[in-house]
Amino acid sequence: MATKNAEALAAVSKKYEWGFATEVEQDFAPKGLSEDTVRYISAKKNEPQWMLDWRLKAYRQWLEMTPPDWAKLSIPPIDYQDAYYYAEPKQKKTLASLDELDPEIRRTYEKLGIPIEEQKVLAGVEGARKVAVDAVFDSVSVATTFREELKAAGVIFLSISEAIREYPDLVKKWLGKVVPQHDNYFATLNSAVFSDGTFVYVPAGVRCPMELSTYFRINAENTGQFERTLIVADKGAYVSYLEGCTAPMRDENQLHAAVVELVALDDAEIKYSTVQNWYPGDENGVGGIYNFVTKRALCQGRNSKVSWTQVETGSAITWKYPSCVLAGENSVGEFYSVAVTNHRQQADTGTKMIHLGKNSRSTIVSKGISAGRSDNTYRGLVRVAPTAEGVRNFTQCDSLLLGDQCGAHTVPYIEVKNPSAQIEHEATTSKISEDQLFYAMSRGLDQEAAVALIVNGFAREVLQQLPMEFAVEAQKLLGISLEGSVG
Amino acid sequence: MTAVFDLPSTREEAWRWADLGGLAAAAALAPIARPEADFLDLPGARLVFVDGVLDAERSMLRRVTLQALEAGDHPLGRRAAGQGWSLRLDAEAAADPVQIIHIATSGESHLPSEIVLGDDAVAEVVETFVGAGWANRFTRVSLGTGARLMRSVRLLQPAGFVSLREEATIGAAASLVTIFLGAGGQGSRIDATLTLAGDGAFVDYGGALLTRDEQRQECAVAVHHAEPNGTSRQVWRAVAADRSQASLAARAEVARHAQKTDGEQSLRGLLLDRTATVNLKPELEIFADDVKCAHGATVGELDARALFYLESRGIPPARAEALLTHAFVADAIGRIGHETVRDAFEADADAWLEAAL
Repeated sequence: MATKNAEALAAVSKKYEWGFATEVEQDFAPKGLSEDTVRYISAKKNEPQWMLDWRLKAYRQWLEMTPPDWAKLSIPPIDYQDAYYYAEPKQKKTLASLDELDPEIRRTYEKLGIPIEEQKVLAGVEGARKVAVDAVFDSVSVATTFREELKAAGVIFLSISEAIREYPDLVKKWLGKVVPQHDNYFATLNSAVFSDGTFVYVPAGVRCPMELSTYFRINAENTGQFERTLIVADKGAYVSYLEGCTAPMRDENQLHAAVVELVALDDAEIKYSTVQNWYPGDENGVGGIYNFVTKRALCQGRNSKVSWTQVETGSAITWKYPSCVLAGENSVGEFYSVAVTNHRQQADTGTKMIHLGKNSRSTIVSKGISAGRSDNTYRGLVRVAPTAEGVRNFTQCDSLLLGDQCGAHTVPYIEVKNPSAQIEHEATTSKISEDQLFYAMSRGLDQEAAVALIVNGFAREVLQQLPMEFAVEAQKLLGISLEGSVG
Repeated sequence: MTAVFDLPSTREEAWRWADLGGLAAAAALAPIARPEADFLDLPGARLVFVDGVLDAERSMLRRVTLQALEAGDHPLGRRAAGQGWSLRLDAEAAADPVQIIHIATSGESHLPSEIVLGDDAVAEVVETFVGAGWANRFTRVSLGTGARLMRSVRLLQPAGFVSLREEATIGAAASLVTIFLGAGGQGSRIDATLTLAGDGAFVDYGGALLTRDEQRQECAVAVHHAEPNGTSRQVWRAVAADRSQASLAARAEVARHAQKTDGEQSLRGLLLDRTATVNLKPELEIFADDVKCAHGATVGELDARALFYLESRGIPPARAEALLTHAFVADAIGRIGHETVRDAFEADADAWLEAAL
């Protein structure tokens, strides 16, 4: 058992490969947070007056609020005045072509393995699958690919700051509708200072011809990243959206407070996949990203569907609950999650399924893997409104503990006000059993391969939900902790 | 009512579903005539407390003593500090069942109690709450190595509120079984922290909460496995009718070196009307890596196929519903070991079901 532990620990202790910082000249907003900061960001973005007013309203509300303390996290006090709320590479961001992009940034993205270049080549290849990429570097979206091709299909895929200028009506209609400005402390902060993010609108009846993807990268020191994503799928539309994130290794903590809003109208479907790999801090818990994210989907239409898939391996502290408000009749919400914590990472993550519509259904599959001295909490809510007839929910949350210094916690809330609902919840906590190991090894696998096989099986239900492009990356990321995992 | 002002607010996680308003209302109820309640036909001590004060005439103390007791610092429990009842048994002693009837006639009453069992001692306690008003009780249980305590508690107040704060320390190989039945018209909060403090300790803590009208009952129980090889079972059933709300929050905590823990939670809710609410929170907090912990939670209505089956056998729909609901509740209160007590509890549950269905 001791060797097994050693191997597992070696595997989970692999270095963070994305911890480099890039030397790029950057424009910063003055340090600290005040109304002036909000005005500065808004001015930088050439925003219309209504947007500035919206931000200021949020900022004033934020001043009155207190950070949430109910999560099973120990969060050191955050000095909101000791951060830059806006950092922009000094490159002009309206580029004629990707070639004009700052080579340093390009190199960064290449190191991250983002296929901007590759995709351009692939574009000419017959039958190749395409992924349109929007890359956000600190506060600014630096590259959005395949825009023209998407436009031909009628899909709007822009950075949110462009969308505010070019499609103000659409943005105005939906921004803050799913996650209201005053929703919670971090969402309100985001509403005031969000810098960039992605806007997607898929018109009625359109199946988005390719996967859409955004990479977020925090590069500058002392910055927070506050991106805002808004995806609207009109009637009968379909879109699959992928999101990835990394940050350099730094000793201080950096704040990432994003808001993601999804809207699915009648018969629309949105598939939202995240591979979150922010810098988790070192083995002693120094540095790392505070990932305080509000993600919520509104299944407003009949038969609409939203599916969240997340692979969470990074961040020093994660506070994140991608949720579905199932307002439409027959609407469907899904949540598939693998959360891995190691060293001194803390994760408090889960989902909320709010059933308002008749015959709405939801599935929750959460797999938590804890190692090192980390704490991993699943926190979820399933609520059935009195008017929601025939609701079905199935929840399964399983935890796997690697080592004896970590914690796995499950905090599911179930609130049901309609007797026709069928709510089922199952949870288990375990380590890898000797029987499983013995069986796999008796088939000729060495110990490490056997453990990897079993743990991959543990997370398989979630991994198989990921689109191909991400599945590979997620496997690799998970491999860091999953290869040679142990009971 | 000033009395409830120093209780935590429902914004706090542990009090999220608590009916603090109902508690204040109960304390302010108009006085009622003293209700009667009968003891079960069992030998042993019999205690009657009227508004928290012993009715010496109707009581036989036997091994139970009255004395000043501490009550810890829990927001509910600490109010109960003062004169209370104490059952202390030496090693290997066995007592006849202790029956306690709590009668509330008005206002609020607070009463502490302790049950301290020496190594291998065995005891049984049956408590019944009747009347109206706010009855607040604190119970400290301490079990020595191999000691066994079986408690059964039924809440049968037609109105008012019963709040119970329980703190237990369970020694090595000791066993604590506590089963509750909330089948009155009162609101309730069963608030417990149980610590398995010895190797191989066992706790079975659960019950059935039946609510109707505007009633709100809840349990908030935390079982803490501090030592290895412990076993815990938390089986709770909730049946909610009309506009009532039943909330079950059960937590199992496993400390770092409490290896080989076997924890099981089963929380199930049955909704009889669409205006009723059942809230469940089966929580696990695990720091040891070689444990078996599982929880299951379901909410729904009666199984339509089971109903159809019974009807196809000639059983009228109402009777079929009653049968299935009875079985649902029996999952929890059927765990009472003593036949006389179990029969009495089942009769109370059936009376409630008959009135509700």
